Amino acid sequence: MRADLLNSILNELNGTSADIEASGVISTDGLMMASQLPAGMDEDRVGAMSAAMLSLGDRTAQELARGHLEQVLVKGNKGYVLMTHAGSEAVVTVLAKPNAKLGLIFLDVKRAAEQISKLV
Amino acid sequence: MPDVDFVSLTAYAKQFSGLTPEYEGLLQEIGPQVKPLLMEVTESFYGVLQSIDKTKPFIDGKVESLKKTHLHWMETMFTGPYDEKYTAWMYKVGDVHVKVRLPVEFMAGGITIIGNTLHPIIAGLCGTDHGRCVKLASAINAMLGFSLMVMQESYQASSLAAELEKFLAITGMSRTLFDNLARAYK
Repeated sequence: MRADLLNSILNELNGTSADIEASGVISTDGLMMASQLPAGMDEDRVGAMSAAMLSLGDRTAQELARGHLEQVLVKGNKGYVLMTHAGSEAVVTVLAKPNAKLGLIFLDVKRAAEQISKLV
Repeated sequence: MPDVDFVSLTAYAKQFSGLTPEYEGLLQEIGPQVKPLLMEVTESFYGVLQSIDKTKPFIDGKVESLKKTHLHWMETMFTGPYDEKYTAWMYKVGDVHVKVRLPVEFMAGGITIIGNTLHPIIAGLCGTDHGRCVKLASAINAMLGFSLMVMQESYQASSLAAELEKFLAITGMSRTLFDNLARAYK
């Protein structure tokens, strides 16, 4: 039931922009709770890596006096990975294309994260 | 301390060090003769450690209590039993060495000092029986090697555990997250 609701939020999120290629909701312990990933992408790795990045981001923000962490953005030549807290227990990870309009994606992800935080 | 199969570790370390039942028997057999001389080994051991600049700070102020433990260990080497309980004890020693931040070379160095002191003592007890002397020397080497191997095993495990704890504290990762991450990349 909860997985269905999470999946429907992810579906909606992926539909908001053609630049979003994949998304997932992950527990802060690194376990995938729901995902819309391309075939061949390892759920366990995406989950654990996203949670690890967010954890390190938390520490970095804290150590470098940047306040409470909101998101971690990784940019590669093949696109972006955006990790955002969805409450204290979950992470939303979004994979986006290299030419994605990040401003819009940030807004959509923020909205989705708020919805997800109410479910987890 | 992590879950360790001390029965298997005992068998493995004995196989590696060559501590056979024959050698165990020899050590126990010579035990009553060696026991009165072991204090000499302990005194020599701490004498050498106190003469080395790097080791001295680790033992200053506690030499007398350390000597008691050391002597008890020396005696156990000549009484046995050389079983999983002994292995668990040696494992604990390696773990403690990490906790008090002793450099890894202290264990191999310490065993070498003990061997250097024990061998002349054993030679003195053998008289002209060279065959027995060689066997006893081999038995002592096997016993010391066995003990060192177990200590180093736990030293390595404890060092890794300590490093991991530090890594988790620095990154803010939970142990569960680290385990999940490691599992994902198995």
